[in-house]
Amino acid sequence: MASPSATADVVAPRSTSESENYLTHDKGVLSWIFTLDHKRIGVMYLCSVLAAFALGGFFALMVRTELLTPGRTIMDHDTYNQMFTLHGAIMVFLVIIPGIPAALGNIIMPLQLGAKDVAFPRLNLASYHLWVVGAVFMLSSLVINAVDTGWTFYTPYSLTTTTAVVPAAFGAFILGFSSIFTGLNFIVTVHKLRPPGMSWFRLPLFVWALYATALIQVLATPVIGITLLMMIVERTLHIGIFDPTLGGDPVLFQHFFWFYSHPAVYIMIVPAFGVIGEIIPVFSRKRMFGYKFIAASSVAIAFLGFLVWGHHLFVSGQSVLAGTIFSAITFLIAVPTAIKVFNWITTMYKGVIHLDTPMLYALAFLWVFTIGGLTGVFLAVMSVDVHLTDTYFVIAHFHYVMMGGAITAFMGGLHYWWPKAFGRMYNEKLGRMAACLVFLGLNVTFFPQFILGSRGMPRRYYNYLPEFQSLHVLSTVGAYTLGVGFLITAFYLVRSLKNGRIAPANPWGGVTLEWQCSSPPPYYNFHKPPVVEAGPYDGYENLMYDEKIGGYLPRKAKSG
Amino acid sequence: MSESTSQSVTEPKKGGHGAPAATHAPAAGAGGHGHGHVEGQAHLAHHFDTYQQQFDAGKLGIWLFLLTEVLFFSGLFCAYTIYRGMHPEIFVYAHYFLNTTMGAINTCVLLISSLTAAWAVRNAQLAQRKLLIFNIVVTVACACTFMVVKYFEYSHKFHDGLLPGPNFHPTEQVWELESFKKKHPEAAEYAEHLDKLGEERAHRKSAAGSADATVTGEYERPTEEQIEPLIKAGLIGPHAEDPYRISKPKNAHVFFGIYFCMTGLHGIHVVGGIIVWLWLLKRAAKNEFGPKYFGPIDYAALYWHLVDLIWIYLFPLLYLIH
Amino acid sequence: MANDDTPDTEASADADKQPKSQQGPSEEQPPAHKDDATAPTPKLEPTKQDEGDADERDSDSDVSAPAPVAAAVADGHAAAALHADHGLAHTMPIWMLVAVLGALMLLTILTVSVTNYDLGSQGNLVVGMVIATIKAGLVITFFMHLLWDKKFHLILFLTAVLFVVLFLSMSITDRGEYQGNIDLYQNTTSAAAK
Repeated sequence: MASPSATADVVAPRSTSESENYLTHDKGVLSWIFTLDHKRIGVMYLCSVLAAFALGGFFALMVRTELLTPGRTIMDHDTYNQMFTLHGAIMVFLVIIPGIPAALGNIIMPLQLGAKDVAFPRLNLASYHLWVVGAVFMLSSLVINAVDTGWTFYTPYSLTTTTAVVPAAFGAFILGFSSIFTGLNFIVTVHKLRPPGMSWFRLPLFVWALYATALIQVLATPVIGITLLMMIVERTLHIGIFDPTLGGDPVLFQHFFWFYSHPAVYIMIVPAFGVIGEIIPVFSRKRMFGYKFIAASSVAIAFLGFLVWGHHLFVSGQSVLAGTIFSAITFLIAVPTAIKVFNWITTMYKGVIHLDTPMLYALAFLWVFTIGGLTGVFLAVMSVDVHLTDTYFVIAHFHYVMMGGAITAFMGGLHYWWPKAFGRMYNEKLGRMAACLVFLGLNVTFFPQFILGSRGMPRRYYNYLPEFQSLHVLSTVGAYTLGVGFLITAFYLVRSLKNGRIAPANPWGGVTLEWQCSSPPPYYNFHKPPVVEAGPYDGYENLMYDEKIGGYLPRKAKSG
Repeated sequence: MSESTSQSVTEPKKGGHGAPAATHAPAAGAGGHGHGHVEGQAHLAHHFDTYQQQFDAGKLGIWLFLLTEVLFFSGLFCAYTIYRGMHPEIFVYAHYFLNTTMGAINTCVLLISSLTAAWAVRNAQLAQRKLLIFNIVVTVACACTFMVVKYFEYSHKFHDGLLPGPNFHPTEQVWELESFKKKHPEAAEYAEHLDKLGEERAHRKSAAGSADATVTGEYERPTEEQIEPLIKAGLIGPHAEDPYRISKPKNAHVFFGIYFCMTGLHGIHVVGGIIVWLWLLKRAAKNEFGPKYFGPIDYAALYWHLVDLIWIYLFPLLYLIH
Repeated sequence: MANDDTPDTEASADADKQPKSQQGPSEEQPPAHKDDATAPTPKLEPTKQDEGDADERDSDSDVSAPAPVAAAVADGHAAAALHADHGLAHTMPIWMLVAVLGALMLLTILTVSVTNYDLGSQGNLVVGMVIATIKAGLVITFFMHLLWDKKFHLILFLTAVLFVVLFLSMSITDRGEYQGNIDLYQNTTSAAAK
């Protein structure tokens, strides 16, 4: 990578929007539905995930609008329960868990690795179609009688409610398999399809992050599968495993559920860490500080994430012994996470910072994720959690990490790799403006919720005391700001597909392998497997910005 | 290019080891990245460079999938362990209703099918088409036998009212079952005796209104040893629904809920396995497998062994409770 | 010549210098080598047993091909990766397969007959599980081929087992702790019902 002549693709990579690339390779809807090309599958995932994000966001705005006033604003209480359940279920299962790995990972990871495709392209396609089927089931619940149990499906209410729990749970079950197959594919790809010279410690950090995520996906997701299956069987056949009136144990459901769902939040955030690990060095024109530590911490977080699920059960009836154990291990997870944050900041130190849109999102991530992560440690303290659990403090915490963490990183990655995937540059001014709006909206929406929670406002409540209203109104204003920010983003991104400047192969000056091929990449990724002779963050000094193409070129080619 | 060179060397080398090469070496090199048109280059996917890489990738993939299956069943094993730990009497009570012989037959049948599956892998590696087909057929036959035996078991349960949840209404009392009588004849007799007394007591109670109808001294207390099986099975004592009468333990249906979930999920996996084997049978008949390409048989056999493994644990846990 | 170690060591040295598109085979060679040296007969056995059965003489089973072997050895590097594995992977000998089945059947009979003896409240369960684990071990090591497979697969499997143990142990510990509350609740409600 440091010596571009070793890569046989192009000496001076040109944009190839007119010439053959993976988007123009084959025509027709069927060529997309039955494609085996990881890039096309990634694009399909991207569109689907963004559509689901819009739907989930719509439900979020419904929730926030209702909360403008105590008592009824625009809907009744049962509908309100359905609104927040759908918002949660769609965002968790349809957007954030597949989000970065399936959409960005599928498009970019094999390119970054130097491979021709993922290990099992047909399994990859099956993953996508399973996502669609799962989405259909989940949304069918919306149509029949939207589920109102909260996205956590806690028993015994989920066993007795008359809403359509079974389709929603079954949809989540199928989505679980989509996730498992993606993870399986990525693990085998990283193990088996690396080109010559790509040793483990030359892998880009995005690949490390996806690998760690894939490990979690493979180990944790089957447990939610069996849990949802058992819940469906319990609901239909009344076998008596979770239902206390039949001799069952509802806390057992919570153990089963959170054994997956806690590692699931690491499925959501670890890829985000990977994206940030890509953006920060490139936009600081500096190699990543502490590469090995960041790689190792991804795996450490993946492992530790399996040991802490009980911190969701502190007040459920779980024993104090178990609570203590889980509390202590939860504190530990802050360590590898902090290692990452410090290394990123140190990377920026004495770098040449370029405040393009992806970097703005990355900087926003650092700020917002740190707040979210630290508040997680507050919640890990059992005595504090007794007061804060099931209040808006928890909601603020996880939205800071999920929205401010995962989604912000997703946006950053989307902007970073947009030119690569679609061959077009978006409007940078609008990009920066939207990024600022999103950052602003995020904080205005969720920071007041910390205050609300610590003052006692419970979560999932339709009605509330009048003293909370001003903060709720502020939060709703923030939510609408967020919505506007995302709408603007959607607008200029879609517009760029037709009107955007043609993108060069390397608009940002990255040195990882995906920037070696044209934008968009050709169908077959690389002519010959690239020979890797350097690490993923070496060689910024060999690239020079070329005004004509609006991107970076290797110095040799320019002078030659 | 180095990749082509390695591929062209691959074929003849393999031929020398009694692992037959169905190809002619020189032609192989031209395939480059293997677009599948050159003989012997068939079944090499475009994104793999060598057969070894393809095979290894598939092997890793199937092992990862087996991991997920282990974790998938773990939830049920967890539920089993918890309920058995907390309510052993339910499990002792319920296991008398199961037919150990059928369970043992199923175990043996699955073990044999595991043998034929492993043998089939060997056949595929050595390109022994006819033997491969035979072994796959036997595997499928064993699997179908398993399902048939399971069908009989399930239909017996339905017939005897041993259904999960509120539908649990056993037609026979546990002490009337052959398996109980054979093991604990004295306890069975005593249970019948107690049951009759209990009925009489119940009649007197309803006839006399709410009058207390306890009767003492109406029966000789047997030895502790004699009634121990009844206590263990929760038929008398604090876990029985009616502590004054011989009855079933509280929430006895939980066992059958767990039983049907575990064996049902396992059965679904057996059926899935049958479908996969039938598909592979078709491909084997078309002579698709040889020393360079036997991955699918290997992976299916690994899956099948896992199905067998799970049954190896299910059998003693469900059928052999003491 | 095929069993000789020397061409392989030369070849493997070559293999390290030339770029290969996967790291797997060169890492695989040492364990496979040992297999070759310690148990050469399994490689030959298939042919002997195959010859015994006329049906198996497919046109594809070209067993004797010494000439291409020599040519391939002369060619060198990547051949070594496959030489040691005699193909893509080790082939199970039939006697081993049948022997394992025999052992499994015996253990099944054992596990059923043990239930006739009363070994205390937990004794039967423990014995049953131990026997089941031995059977599982046999299936995994031989039928599932793990003895000859990459160590990584074994690590993966043990990791899965580890996570299952983790899941079960925490859930059981926790349930044990609050079982008292459940019993209290059930006793008071059943008392109240009367």
